[in-house]
Amino acid sequence: MNRLKKLQRISTVMNVCLLLVLVVVALGGDAEPVVATHFVPPTGLYCATSPSASFTLTTKTGYVTLPDGNQVFMWGFSEGERPFQHPSQTLCVTEGDTVTIVLHNTLDQDVSIIFPGMDDVVANGAPTQPQFDATGAMTSLTNVAPANGGLVTYTFTASQPGTYLYESGTETTKQINMGLYGALVVRPLGHPDWAYNDPATQFNPGNEYLMLISDIDPNLHTAVEHGQTYDMNTFTPRYFLYNGRAFPDTIYPNEVPFLPNQPYSSLAIIKPHDPNQFLADGITTNPGYYPYPALMRYLNVMAVDTAHHPHGNHARIIAQDAAPLTGPAGQDLTFEKFLIAVGPGQTVDALWDWNDVDHWRPANPATGDPGNPIPVTIPQLQNMTFGPFYSGSAYLGNLSTLPVGTQALNQCGEYYHIAHSHSIHLINAWGMVMGGQITFTRIDPPEGCPQ
Amino acid sequence: MTKINFSRNLNRRDFLKLGGGLLGAASGSILLSKALLKPEEVVKAERVGLPMRGSDPARAAQLPADRHFVATDGWCYLPPNTAVASPYHPDDMAPPPFNTYMFGFRDLTPIASLANFLELQNAQKMKCQTCAPMWWLDEEVDVTLRLTNLGLQLRPDLVDSHTLHFHGFRNAIPIFDGEPHSSVGVPIIRDLTYFYRPHNAGTYMYHCHFEETEHMHMGMTGPVFIRPLQNRGLMRDPVTGLLVASPIPAGKYAYNDGVVATDPMSTAYDREYVMTLTELWSFAHWCDSHIQLPEWTDFKPDFWLLNGRSYPQTVLEPGQGTNTVTGELIAPVGHPELQYQPISSLVTANPGDRVLLRFINLTFLDQTMTIAGIPMRVVGKDAVLLRGRDGTDQTYWTNTIAIDPGETVDAIFTAPPYQGPGPYDTYLLYNRNLTRLNNNGAAGMGGHATEIRVYPASAPANTLAPQVDANDWPEFLA
Repeated sequence: MNRLKKLQRISTVMNVCLLLVLVVVALGGDAEPVVATHFVPPTGLYCATSPSASFTLTTKTGYVTLPDGNQVFMWGFSEGERPFQHPSQTLCVTEGDTVTIVLHNTLDQDVSIIFPGMDDVVANGAPTQPQFDATGAMTSLTNVAPANGGLVTYTFTASQPGTYLYESGTETTKQINMGLYGALVVRPLGHPDWAYNDPATQFNPGNEYLMLISDIDPNLHTAVEHGQTYDMNTFTPRYFLYNGRAFPDTIYPNEVPFLPNQPYSSLAIIKPHDPNQFLADGITTNPGYYPYPALMRYLNVMAVDTAHHPHGNHARIIAQDAAPLTGPAGQDLTFEKFLIAVGPGQTVDALWDWNDVDHWRPANPATGDPGNPIPVTIPQLQNMTFGPFYSGSAYLGNLSTLPVGTQALNQCGEYYHIAHSHSIHLINAWGMVMGGQITFTRIDPPEGCPQ
Repeated sequence: MTKINFSRNLNRRDFLKLGGGLLGAASGSILLSKALLKPEEVVKAERVGLPMRGSDPARAAQLPADRHFVATDGWCYLPPNTAVASPYHPDDMAPPPFNTYMFGFRDLTPIASLANFLELQNAQKMKCQTCAPMWWLDEEVDVTLRLTNLGLQLRPDLVDSHTLHFHGFRNAIPIFDGEPHSSVGVPIIRDLTYFYRPHNAGTYMYHCHFEETEHMHMGMTGPVFIRPLQNRGLMRDPVTGLLVASPIPAGKYAYNDGVVATDPMSTAYDREYVMTLTELWSFAHWCDSHIQLPEWTDFKPDFWLLNGRSYPQTVLEPGQGTNTVTGELIAPVGHPELQYQPISSLVTANPGDRVLLRFINLTFLDQTMTIAGIPMRVVGKDAVLLRGRDGTDQTYWTNTIAIDPGETVDAIFTAPPYQGPGPYDTYLLYNRNLTRLNNNGAAGMGGHATEIRVYPASAPANTLAPQVDANDWPEFLA
C-alpha cells in the first residue's frame, strides 16, 4: 500500500474514534455472556476483568495485517469466546486476587503458560513443574494443556502490583514468536489509579497505555503455517510492532474495524500537565486542570533490547519487572530518561507528562494582547514542507493555514510528538520505510479539543 | 527519499520504481537529462533560486541567528580493508583521498559574520562534516539556530527536506522539535530558524528526523550538550524559580549538583570529551551514492566510529577550524583525508585531573564502552543527574558503560598517577563488544576505540595547560 493511501486511512482515525465510542455505548448491555467483561475506550489500555479473577484462555490462530500489505499467520490466547487476536488478551486483576486461568489448547501440540514474576503458581492443584520426557529431555518449562483440546488450570496469588508478561512455556522460541504472549496487569488494592502502593505513582486513569513491543520473522510463521521446519539460527525479524501493530496502524483506535485481529492502539492522548484546580481567582474551575501524568506500561517480547524514545519529554521510570524503584528505607530510586530501555522479557513502568513551560501564545491584535510569541519568524508556506499532523501554527490550540493539497489531519491545533524505537532500522518494515515501531503522543489544548 | 510530498516532481527513485527506460523515454527524459547527466547544472539552478529568500518578508525580518548550520552531502575517509576486495568500500565514486559517501551538517557559525557569508555558505554544498558538528548551550540562555538545506549534490534527484531534532529536549513544542510528521521540514535552499530555551543541563544529541533511517545512518547525527547554571555561579531559586547567585563557585560542572568541587558528590571536572558513537554500513552508503536503496531490516554495519573517525584515526589531532576565505574545513596537519572529520577523540590529562566523558550512542545498536584500568563514576544519564527526588545518590562506579541507542551517559574519572617511563601512560577506551573493534573486518584494532594519555606532571606543575574546549577542538565557539 502506498504512503498516500495509508495517510488517507489515518484521516479516518478520529471519525472512527467517535464511532467506536457510540458503538460501545450502544452495545454496552449486549457483551458476550462470558465471565470477563470488556470496555473499549478509543485509545489506551483496556483489558479483560473478572469479579472472580478467573479467565479462560483459548489458543486461536489467525492472521495479522502489516503495513506493507503482507499478512502473517499467528497464534494467540483469546479470552472466553472471543475470536483470534494479536497480541493475546490483556488481563487485569487486583492485588491479592487469587487468579485462575484455564488454558484450553486447540493446537496440535502441547501448550502451556508461564507467569514470570508470579510465585507459587499451581497447575491443576499441584505446584507447577518443568516437564520431561522419558529420556529426561525437558519438554516444557511448566505443566501443559495437551494438544488437540487439552486443558490445564493455573492458579496463583497476584500478591504484588505491577506489569507482567505471560507467555508460552512450551517450545518457547517458536510458540512465543508465533504470538502466545500477552500482558497481565495487577492493580493496587483500593487504588486502581496508582501504579503501585505509592501515591507518587498516581496517574490519570484515562491515560494508561500498554506498550507491548515485539517483532516478526515472516519465514518462521510461514514455516509453521505449512508444517515446515525452521532453523532458529536464521531468525531475521522483518516487522517491528507496538501492541501487535506497525506504524501507521499503531495510531488507529482500539478495535478499529479494518484491523479485526489487532485490537490494541498505541496512540496516547493527553493534555498539558496543570496542577491548578482553580483559575487565579481561586473560585473558577480551571478547564485545563490536569494534575496527573500518563502511565506507560512497557513490555518487551523481542530477543533484543528495545530502545524506545518518546519525543517531547523525559519519562520517569518508576518500576522494572513489577518492582517499584524504592530503596529499603523508602529512598527514591526512580529516574528520568529520554530513552527507555527494556530488556528481552522485561517490563518497565513509566510516568509521562508534557508541560507548557514557556507558555508560548500568539499576540492578538484585536484585543491588544501582546501574547508571548515565539522569538523567531516562521517562514512563509512556500518555504517549508509539512507533516500531516501539523496544525499550521506553532501554538497549542491554534489552527492555521496550510498550502492547498497538504494532508491536514490536525483537528484543533493539538500537538503531536512521535515516540519510536531509536534502533532506527526497526522503525521500518520489510522493504518499506516508516512501517515499524513508531507511534505518537497527542497533546490536546488545555480546554480540550472540540469534536 | 521524500517522506511525504504530494507535489514533488518525478525523481530518479520514482523513475526506478516505475520500472524503466521506456517510461523515461516517454515522459521523463527532460527531467532525467538534467538530473542524471548534469548535476552541476542543477546546482547552479538552485543557486539562481537564492534571491527568492528576499521575497519572503518573514524571512527578511529574521534577526541574525546564534548558530548557522547547513545540511548537505559529502565525503569522508575510513580505513579500507585492503585484504578483502569489497565492492562497496572504498566507494568507486569517491574523489581521492576520500572513500565514503555521507550526508551531514556543517556549522558555519565561525564565518557567519563575514560579508560574503551567503556565497561561502552555498560553496559548502557537498562538504558536510562527519560526525555532525559538536555544539553546546548554556542553561537558560536562549539560542537560535538557522538550518539551511543546501541539497544533496551527488543526488540531485532526491528532493529531501531536512530538519534538526534536538533529541531529549524537554517539553519541546513540535515546531522546534524537528520531527517532520508533527511539524515542518526545510526544503532545498530554504532555511528555518529553530529556537531553544534550555532549562535542563546535560548531554543530548541531535539529528535530522526527515527520512530518519536513511538520513541518520548516512551521517546526519551529532553531539550537543547544555552547560549547567552552576558553571556561571547561578542557581534557580527553589521558591520563585528566578535565577539567583549560587553558593557554589563558578566552574566546570556536568550538572547543577549543589555541592562544592571537593565534595565526593560533585560533578566538577577539569577536562571534557564527547564520545559520539556512530556506525556505518558501507553497503548502505554505497547504495546512496549509486542511486540504490538498502533493505534496512538487513542492517549490518561494518565500521564503528567515535566522533566520526574509527581507530586508529580517533587519536589523531583535530582539524584546524574553518577557512575564512573559502568557508572550508581545514584538515588536520598531514591528514587531508580527515578534512571533513575534524573531531579528535584523544583524551589527554594530567595526573589527578577529573575528566568528564559524555557518551552519546547514535548507533542503532547497544554498545558497551570500557576503560581498561581506570574506574569511572556515572553521574548522569539522558541529561539527568543521577539523584532521586529525595536527594538519594544514584551515581555509581564502573569500568563499563552499557549504552542503548539514543541514550547518553555522563561519567567522570580521575586520571591516575603517572607511572612512566614513556612520555605518557596510555589507557584504552574501547567497545567491549569486540565485533565493533575492527575496520570493515580488517585485522588489527579499529572501530570504537581511542586512547587516554596521562602525562607526567600533576598540579601545580601540570604538563598540560587547562583545557579550553571540549575534545580540545580549536574552533569550538560559543
